[in-house]
Amino acid sequence: MNRILLGLIFFSISPLGLAQDYSLDIPVAPKKTLEWSGNLDGKYTVMQMRPESPFYKIQFSDDLSNYLSQYRLELYLNADYRTRNMGFHLKTHGIYYNDSNAQFDLFEAYGNYNFSLNTTLHFGKQVFSWGKGYAFNPAGFINPFKDPENPELAQAGLLSMSFETIKSFRNKWLQTAALTAVVIPPAENIDQRYAEIENTDFALKGYALVWNTDVDVMGYFSGDGSAKYGADFSLNLKENIEIHGEFAYSTDETTLRFKSGLPTESMENGYSWLAGLRYLNRWNTTIIAEYYRNDFGWTKSDYSKYLGSIETALQNDMIPDNLGNVPSGMTQMQDYLYLKISQPEPFDLLYFSPSIYTIYNLQDRSYIIGAPMTYSPVSNFSMIFWPTLISGKNDSEFGSKPMQLKFDLWMRFYF
Amino acid sequence: MIKISYMKSLLLLGILLTLPPMIFAQDANELLRKIDENLMPESYESYRKLINEEPNGKRKEYLFYTVKKGKDRVAMLYLEPASDRGRSTLRLDENMWLYIPNVRKPIRITSMQSVIGGVFNNSDIMRLDYSVEYNATILKETDKEYVLNLKAKNRTVAYDRLKMWALKDGLILTKIECYSATNMLLKTLEFKEIKKFGNGLVRPSVIETYSPLYKGYRSLMIYITIKPRKFPDEVFTLNFMPRMEELR
Repeated sequence: MNRILLGLIFFSISPLGLAQDYSLDIPVAPKKTLEWSGNLDGKYTVMQMRPESPFYKIQFSDDLSNYLSQYRLELYLNADYRTRNMGFHLKTHGIYYNDSNAQFDLFEAYGNYNFSLNTTLHFGKQVFSWGKGYAFNPAGFINPFKDPENPELAQAGLLSMSFETIKSFRNKWLQTAALTAVVIPPAENIDQRYAEIENTDFALKGYALVWNTDVDVMGYFSGDGSAKYGADFSLNLKENIEIHGEFAYSTDETTLRFKSGLPTESMENGYSWLAGLRYLNRWNTTIIAEYYRNDFGWTKSDYSKYLGSIETALQNDMIPDNLGNVPSGMTQMQDYLYLKISQPEPFDLLYFSPSIYTIYNLQDRSYIIGAPMTYSPVSNFSMIFWPTLISGKNDSEFGSKPMQLKFDLWMRFYF
Repeated sequence: MIKISYMKSLLLLGILLTLPPMIFAQDANELLRKIDENLMPESYESYRKLINEEPNGKRKEYLFYTVKKGKDRVAMLYLEPASDRGRSTLRLDENMWLYIPNVRKPIRITSMQSVIGGVFNNSDIMRLDYSVEYNATILKETDKEYVLNLKAKNRTVAYDRLKMWALKDGLILTKIECYSATNMLLKTLEFKEIKKFGNGLVRPSVIETYSPLYKGYRSLMIYITIKPRKFPDEVFTLNFMPRMEELR
């Protein structure tokens, strides 16, 4: 009673109360069982091409202008239906170039049933994101391919069934433990409808928060006998410094090498790993730095031979089938440095967040430098201007890409 | 006999000289614990709006659903704007994570970062009880209020020192100044608009903050509802971050 009286007195005499310039009558967002969300991106790109690149020669003809443009619309449409014990989630992606060239993708479509608050079963096509790396995830055995230039881009999921259980603990050294088990049915290769059951893959991940450190151990066991084992960690050293790392060991990984100048598939065992940090300074600048090593990537010599094979094939007007089996993802070689610096609202420029990043190939010294600049003057709308320089010697990884300079302008509307 | 009395007196004097600071520290920490109790139930769910106001008067608004358990577990779901909807943040003691739906995994963040911009940083938005992070001493006491000095218990706490004003009657918080280790004033928080939230909870419903480092900027945190609610520990785990909407 005293408190209420005091409150009323305080409110009535407080000059702050009198100087109120905001409304306290705020409605609470009602909970909806079915919810729609998404965003529409309009993307306009101007590219300065590299006609001497063998990849340019595969894709384009000789008599084109050095400057190409592209205008496309991308629609991300999501629906979530949730009750206390179950849910259904849909994430779609549509891309439109013109009336005769449009595409629709089902990124995710999965249901979940909660046996209890800490035990869940998932069924359907779902994205997994394992590993602690920002730009690369060597231990992300079931992740979609990540674009290190834009790691936050929505991706397509994996058709799977998964089971997850979590347990919290009240002691100093172990606070949480969780286990995720994933069954990945084989791709249907018989009449496009059936598959042999022995090709089913399994993945397991155990997570623990121990001594204020996130630790995961994971494994992937393929129906063909190959296996991958991995681990990762992440912890805050100080209130503004985080460090993380990932490690993976794979057996019988199908790898393309060049023997006597000819592309040959071989089965290899090897390691890949990553070490990184995230640092925030007193001016609110965030720095992310990562080193990534991949034993299954190509050496400088492999890459030169790969380019040579394409040039020879182009001269003979025939591309060998197994040249399509190149190391997947954006980065194909063994050693990379990633650095990103972002600064929200520098020099009091409101709603403006520039950043700059580089992916540097340590073997051939080729690199990508991008500088996305985001301007968000109102809620639910962003404009992004994103110049990218892709550079290196002609026989280097990034120096052999079909474009050398790119300017993107994106308009993004959320709902 | 006289000698023994003299020794005893000296001993007593010594004890008396060392006791007051200890008693004051105990009193101050007890005061701080009561101030915490008056601000929030031990476990609760809450809706609050956060407004970032720019020097030109433009505003950006966020709506959060927050749950807290005990002294060291806080989780928060972004409800508005649509561009941030579905994001969630989790704090377990000194550890903090951010979950972004497109990234599909929680990433560690630091207490000094601000995931939404503006003057409030993560530790302001995902605040634990003050008595968990700070040791208190009484700086000044008047007829109407206490002024406490709060020193961080360790280096991972966002502010090295706080200066806190609380009304004596009802132990209601009115103002906090946040200082760095070099004794620089980082920001000021003012607690306003006392409101009845039900279940006997009467507290300021608005926290306004401004900083000499962000001249012309102002951020407001407006509590809409605060209700006591019990949660299992598993709600405060990385695996539960994508599922926070199920709690509403």
